[in-house]
Amino acid sequence: MKRVTFNWDKGILVFLVLTTIVGSFVTPYFANASNFSFVIQDIGEFMLMAIPMTFLIISGEIDLSIGSSLCLSSAALGYSFRHGIPFWLCIIIALLVGLACGLINGILVTKFGLQSLAVTIGTLALYRGLCFVLLGNQPVNQMPLSYTNLGSNSIPHTFLPYVTILIVIFGAIGWTTLHYTRLGRWTFAVGINVEAAKFSGIPVARLKLALFAMTGLMAGVAGIVYTFRFASASPDGATGYELSVIASVLFGGVSIAGGVGTMWGVLAAVLELGVIRSVLQLTNVSANTLLVVSGGLLLLSVAIPRAIELSRNRRKLVSSDSKS
Amino acid sequence: MQKRLTRVAIAIVAVAALAGTTATANAGSAGIKGGLKIAIMPKAVNNGYFTAWAKGGTTACKEIGARCTYLGPTTATGAAQVQFINQIIQQHYNVLVISAADQNAIVPALNKAKAAGITIVTSDADVDASAAASRVTAVLPASSTRIGTAEVDWIAAATGGKGSIAILSAAATAANQNAWIAAMGPYLTSKYPNMSWVGGTVDKSVFYGNDDATTSTQQFDAILAQYPNVAGIISPTTVGVLAAAQEKKAKSLTVAITGLGLPSQMGPYITDGTVLKVGLWNPIDLGYVAVYAAAEAASGTFKGTVGSTFYAGNTKKTKKTYTVTAGGITYLGDPFTFDKSNIATFAAIY
Amino acid sequence: MNRFLTRLVSVREIPVLLALFIVLVVTGIANPQFVSASGAQDIFLGVAVIATLSVGMTFVITMRHIDLSVGSTAGFTAYMIGKMSAHHHGLVTSLLVALGIGLIVGAANGFLVAYLRLPSLVVTLASLWIVRGVFDQIAGGDTVTDNQVPVALGYLGRHSFANIPYIFIIAFVLILVASFFMRSVRPARDLYAMGSNPPASELAGIPVARRTFFAFLASGAVSGLGGAILLARFHSADSNSGLGLELNVIAACVVGGVAIAGGVGTPYGALIGALLLQSITQALGALGVSQFWQLAVNGTLLISAISLDRYLTLRVKPTRILRVKS
Repeated sequence: MKRVTFNWDKGILVFLVLTTIVGSFVTPYFANASNFSFVIQDIGEFMLMAIPMTFLIISGEIDLSIGSSLCLSSAALGYSFRHGIPFWLCIIIALLVGLACGLINGILVTKFGLQSLAVTIGTLALYRGLCFVLLGNQPVNQMPLSYTNLGSNSIPHTFLPYVTILIVIFGAIGWTTLHYTRLGRWTFAVGINVEAAKFSGIPVARLKLALFAMTGLMAGVAGIVYTFRFASASPDGATGYELSVIASVLFGGVSIAGGVGTMWGVLAAVLELGVIRSVLQLTNVSANTLLVVSGGLLLLSVAIPRAIELSRNRRKLVSSDSKS
Repeated sequence: MQKRLTRVAIAIVAVAALAGTTATANAGSAGIKGGLKIAIMPKAVNNGYFTAWAKGGTTACKEIGARCTYLGPTTATGAAQVQFINQIIQQHYNVLVISAADQNAIVPALNKAKAAGITIVTSDADVDASAAASRVTAVLPASSTRIGTAEVDWIAAATGGKGSIAILSAAATAANQNAWIAAMGPYLTSKYPNMSWVGGTVDKSVFYGNDDATTSTQQFDAILAQYPNVAGIISPTTVGVLAAAQEKKAKSLTVAITGLGLPSQMGPYITDGTVLKVGLWNPIDLGYVAVYAAAEAASGTFKGTVGSTFYAGNTKKTKKTYTVTAGGITYLGDPFTFDKSNIATFAAIY
Repeated sequence: MNRFLTRLVSVREIPVLLALFIVLVVTGIANPQFVSASGAQDIFLGVAVIATLSVGMTFVITMRHIDLSVGSTAGFTAYMIGKMSAHHHGLVTSLLVALGIGLIVGAANGFLVAYLRLPSLVVTLASLWIVRGVFDQIAGGDTVTDNQVPVALGYLGRHSFANIPYIFIIAFVLILVASFFMRSVRPARDLYAMGSNPPASELAGIPVARRTFFAFLASGAVSGLGGAILLARFHSADSNSGLGLELNVIAACVVGGVAIAGGVGTPYGALIGALLLQSITQALGALGVSQFWQLAVNGTLLISAISLDRYLTLRVKPTRILRVKS
């Protein structure tokens, strides 16, 4: 099983390279600095949210409220800015709101023993509702340019948008934590068999609470990135992002059943989805077709590893038959 | 009485329409550059209103020898639109004609497009006033005041000028609708002393249907549950007014309905008397004029400064001149009104 | 008395029913208009579509799976029925096409989940997008208008029998039939076993793959026909029809006691859940709660409902099982 997903992760990388090469040939607009800058900017929030979501799904949980959490932290930022609070403080408030969103999900799941899928459908509505309560029909704009420019400009002397810094930092933290620390091993253990994990002394509830909190916090970070990028806060921001984030994590080879996945598979998958989208758009594929392609890719991401596994099992069966 | 009011209303609208679009002789004579690459971007594709809007734009493109592409997201959000704005920057378009799905969120992307040398004209929905510099001009149907007050006049005609009124809007963040609604408030109070807002003030009388059939119907029901004596409902959005008309007919209600509706969609309800009249500008004209404005700006013959003019139309007969007014906005003229007498004609067009 | 109460609340649907009752009474006192015939009609009309779709969803969730594609499918078939009727195809043909589309989507989902053993969340999320994309491509900016809706469907959507709208009666009958099946017919009963303990049910000789396939097929078929109810209800359809409906359907199921963890729940429970959610939405409106608060309140109630359900399952069920044992 593990070897199969390993293949899929590699497949993603191959796929990423292939798409990039094909993209450069089919359209002259694809392979240049400004386009890569657009692609990175487009996937920034998704990348930041996919990192904690990878942990969460590997541990066997899910968070459907992540789009609403992003919006609520963005709305909190806008709301406090509108009420004259210094902007640096608004950013801290936004982060805390994101953290709170995650903590509430985590408490409902770990302390109340509720199913995360059901709980986060509820908080998806709740957090979104609070966005409207905070901002009503008045989006917030005209935020300080010194901050919002970070959302649209590139790091001086490069084509890389500022969000790259966050992606690299959090990507590295997520990667090392998941694959090289006890916390990461626990996450896998809980996802593979929660009972066994409990008996082996892993503080399952505390771990899950921490993972949900991290997811919320990262939604808060993404909320700030989102606010800067669009230089505004609106109660309907980031609608439907949750499904895209979850889909890209699954596309990266993480099993929805828990216990399986790699961080670099997910990071490559998010990047790959951004690149595919860019190539398709630049070759004038319509938005409708993009939907179909997204669905098809998602299916492939689970069907191909499965097919490899099936054929391998059959080969194994055949070879064992011939031996006997 | 009602009939006379109606006639007066039509007359007012007609006169105003003429005034709004009067040609001021010396039309821009300098030619439009050939072979412009123009992107026409709606709030969302798969929407009948924008299909008609793009039809006008495409017609204009053919007349001026430009290459037109109609592209945009499937959901009307600023974030989704930005991805397509980035696309047209990459593909080196010369011109972008866009209906802003979010008055703020697309501004940074528009500024980038502008920096990349793309001429931008907003049409149908403008960006926030604070970001007016990001586009050359906004080609809008009519001023918020005219659209708002016209709708109040229509509902007054349908209710006989009395009773309490509610509004079934689009999304809470829809900038156009919010501006029109703001104009309705004081006008109704001052012009029609026997009419009032169900919630006391106009702000408290707005229900949001999110431009979604299900939510609009739910909110229509909510209005009636909360205010059983409501006399009329104004729905300044094509999705909302359609849902309202359907629900009124399904339940054989007496509440009067008006708003901004596509004649092709509202036809059956106007014909059978469910709705007395609705109105809308011609989205085909709107897209048509916007493409001309943008093409002339890209050719350097139109600057978009207040008072500057551009023309639309390629024959002497169809040629009309438009003047940019305060805020860099160009108005098309007042909305048309549709009732039993003309609905069949318009329903066939858009 | 105490034992009676304990037994009563141990039926998962009872607390939801009680909550529904409280909502109706409280709102009724505050706004008498709410409990009138027309208020009831609004609620029935409002749940007709969700209740219909919840039948298939109950099958699927009971066996610990999920079907996210129902909204796209229902929207697509609603549009197709209208378009076909506009092109002078008979109602029966249109309905058959709708059913066919539903069956194709259901069969595809079912095959991938049951036989290739792919996770249902991923498969149906993919089909949500694919069906919506195809639908968008076909519909474009086109809208099915009132005069294109088949006359019979239009009639059903606008008329009532004894103040109960026909489309609700249809949904109700469907729910009754499905409830009967899940209670008394072996293959449908098997879904509970499969959801409670998938490996054990396989060992017990239940043809898990086949049952799973047919449950998804049923969900697809119901969604296909749900499109007819959707069209009858709204008398119009466009590329946005049914958008996001899946989460409302799942919410109705969850509130009505169909646990995401599988193994429990009934179609009539989902109906009560749908009625509760719809009543709350309408009650908030009737009570004059600002629309900006409504979504937040809805979310809170959804969480409360799951928490209450969990609490009752923990506190009440074990005692009952113990008593039976002793």
